Amino acid sequence: MFKKILFATSATEASDHAARVAFNMAAALKAHINLFHVLGVPTRGYSQVVLDVKTKEKVEIDDEYISWVEEEIRTYYANQLKDRKIDLSIKAVVGIPHREILRQAKEIKPDLIIMGGSTGSDEESVYKSNTGSTLQRVAKAAQCPILIVNRPAASFWGGVSSIVFGADFSKASDKAFEFALKVAQAMKCELHIFHALDITSNHMGLSLSQDEIEERIRKNLNLIRARYVSKMTDKKNFSMDVWEGIPYVEIVKYAREKHADLIVMAHSSRKLEGDAPKIGSNMEQVILRAGCPVISVNH
Amino acid sequence: MPEGIFCNKKPIETEEALKAFMGDTSGAQYYKEMQSLDVDSDLLWKTIQNTCKSRIRTWLEICAHCGMCAESCFLYLVNDRDPKQVPAYKIQSTLGEIVKRKGKVDNEFMRMAMETAWAKCTCCNRCGLYCPHGIDMGVMFGYLRGLLYQQGFVPWEMKIGAGMHRVYRAQMDVTEEEFVETFQWMAEEYEEEYVGLTVPVDVENADILYTVNAREVKHYPEDLAEAAILFHAAGENWTIPSKGWELTSLAMFAGDWAACKMQVESVYDAMERLKPKRMVGTECGHAHRATVIEGPYWAGRKDGQTPVPSIHYIEWLAEALREGKLKIDPEKRIKQPVTLQDSCNYVRNHGLREVAREILSYIVEPGYFRDMSPNKEHNFCCGGGGGFNGIGLFRHQRNKGLMTKRDQILKTGAKLVIAPCHNCWDAIRDLEEEYEIGIKWSFLKPLILSMLVVPDHMKPEE
Repeated sequence: MFKKILFATSATEASDHAARVAFNMAAALKAHINLFHVLGVPTRGYSQVVLDVKTKEKVEIDDEYISWVEEEIRTYYANQLKDRKIDLSIKAVVGIPHREILRQAKEIKPDLIIMGGSTGSDEESVYKSNTGSTLQRVAKAAQCPILIVNRPAASFWGGVSSIVFGADFSKASDKAFEFALKVAQAMKCELHIFHALDITSNHMGLSLSQDEIEERIRKNLNLIRARYVSKMTDKKNFSMDVWEGIPYVEIVKYAREKHADLIVMAHSSRKLEGDAPKIGSNMEQVILRAGCPVISVNH
Repeated sequence: MPEGIFCNKKPIETEEALKAFMGDTSGAQYYKEMQSLDVDSDLLWKTIQNTCKSRIRTWLEICAHCGMCAESCFLYLVNDRDPKQVPAYKIQSTLGEIVKRKGKVDNEFMRMAMETAWAKCTCCNRCGLYCPHGIDMGVMFGYLRGLLYQQGFVPWEMKIGAGMHRVYRAQMDVTEEEFVETFQWMAEEYEEEYVGLTVPVDVENADILYTVNAREVKHYPEDLAEAAILFHAAGENWTIPSKGWELTSLAMFAGDWAACKMQVESVYDAMERLKPKRMVGTECGHAHRATVIEGPYWAGRKDGQTPVPSIHYIEWLAEALREGKLKIDPEKRIKQPVTLQDSCNYVRNHGLREVAREILSYIVEPGYFRDMSPNKEHNFCCGGGGGFNGIGLFRHQRNKGLMTKRDQILKTGAKLVIAPCHNCWDAIRDLEEEYEIGIKWSFLKPLILSMLVVPDHMKPEE
């Protein structure tokens, strides 16, 4: 189901876990994988000076430098690529990372984008010098699903047996469900539909009574039935649950309980404020905490 | 060696030549060749006789060497009041000498003149405001740059910039197709969030023809999306031209007069072809100077006007806010100390000193705006104008030049600097990188968008 994968990599440790998943997937699915790296951020309007994201040095970019970086990436992944037949291409460019990843996605139209976790703190990372994180911005606009691997995945692609779908009943969430269902069918694995009832906010400081919570849980379960389960043809391999709590914590706990190999969610934050916290929404928290890869679907 | 492979008197005319030229990383070979580039004194003198008109000749003659211009120059101030940084000295020792010697100057002199023209003057024209005779050294340096460019004595990046305009009619390698495609891509990307967002291309008789800076297309197309959203929210009947969309002119910084003319004519052609009521250009200072203020003269337009009335983005924005076409959510107004960078090119040189302040009155909570001192038409250059930002060879001098703006900003105590000009925006970003004073900087578009009351028809269902 994935024939073309765009792996946006920093070619550093931050992308190592993602790289493992990406190469395993490419090998198992015989997919083409495009290693895409934004090597530098343009520093001056019309000079050729670029801030190299790895060395943090200001360098003058020419074709030779770009080829050299592409070769470096090949060397960096040489071990993982050794003795494996992977249909691979490498591209390094200069630009603002999220924009260039989206531009590349627009050009090659991948079925999936794979990205690693955070590249570090504000001070350390050149990528972060622009407001908001690359991941947030790519997730918001990309037309295809994005697989994010932050922590070492307990399992890896090729062995998916349990998927957790985190539902929030938005339009984007419907798309995420379609995708989760498709993967579950293709992989013949369990699909667990889950909604976390947020009891932390929206209640003007009043805590909900247990009766109210349970009432809402019943309502949400009905919503899951109507909105998602009704669309399933094969209704054997699935379960559904609504738990109350802090949404991201509940999703991570639930995924652990279900031995999930994959979490599918919609990236629901609509607006990206200039000073938005880098890790704010449920999605980001889940990415940071989950023991398995997370797929963000927005379209 | 009279003419080098890269350093010579020929402008860059083709894509191949441009690529080869850029392949000479940092202009290493280029500057080496420049050491032995011949000066064509006959051509130089002939050009002066043809182009150095009474105004500049008079200015050179009547300068009383009074030194009143000295303190007006930020480069004089940051360089320990070095007498060699006095504007009058700078122009008399370069252009003045060339004229006096009837063009008989040598290679070493020309290289000195190049450094003076691009590393000791940003053509901010502040000195002209303080000269008792009204002599504008910035204008004269612009002229000197033209003479230097013709002789091949021009910084490497400036020659690239001028070449870009000649080859692409844009300051970067962005083709017409790429421009339209990128703009449409942005509309698609934001359409879900802002319902009905489209980019009208080549629509005739629109109210507004919108022109941009190629860097927006190349590196941060979000700027295009923001422009589209704001026009859409204001209910404007607007369009972009598929040809003649580039407002900027690095050719002006380079002194490539022929390329200046080619560039603005492409925009004027678009105006004549599409017949809009008026043109609105993006948040860029030098681009406004090039296309709106000086361009008509380059193109030989007798009335000194663009084919249709042309305004700066801040003028449109102020109007849209004033007339209520765009509404600001008062809750979301800026509530932190904020200052404004007045761009030399449209404030000092085009009188738009109150316009940005009017915008701020709508978007900043009263009490939070801190003006720089001096300000408005007396404001100092950001430190990176006139091409200074982009020249690797003069980076050290440029970084020193940024200190004036750094200290002005620090004195305001502002945490946010609004810079509705690409050059200023770059310079302020660079000064933060260089001196780390803990400020943020922004164009107006993203700020307005963050506090806009989105009209109901643009809100997505859900």
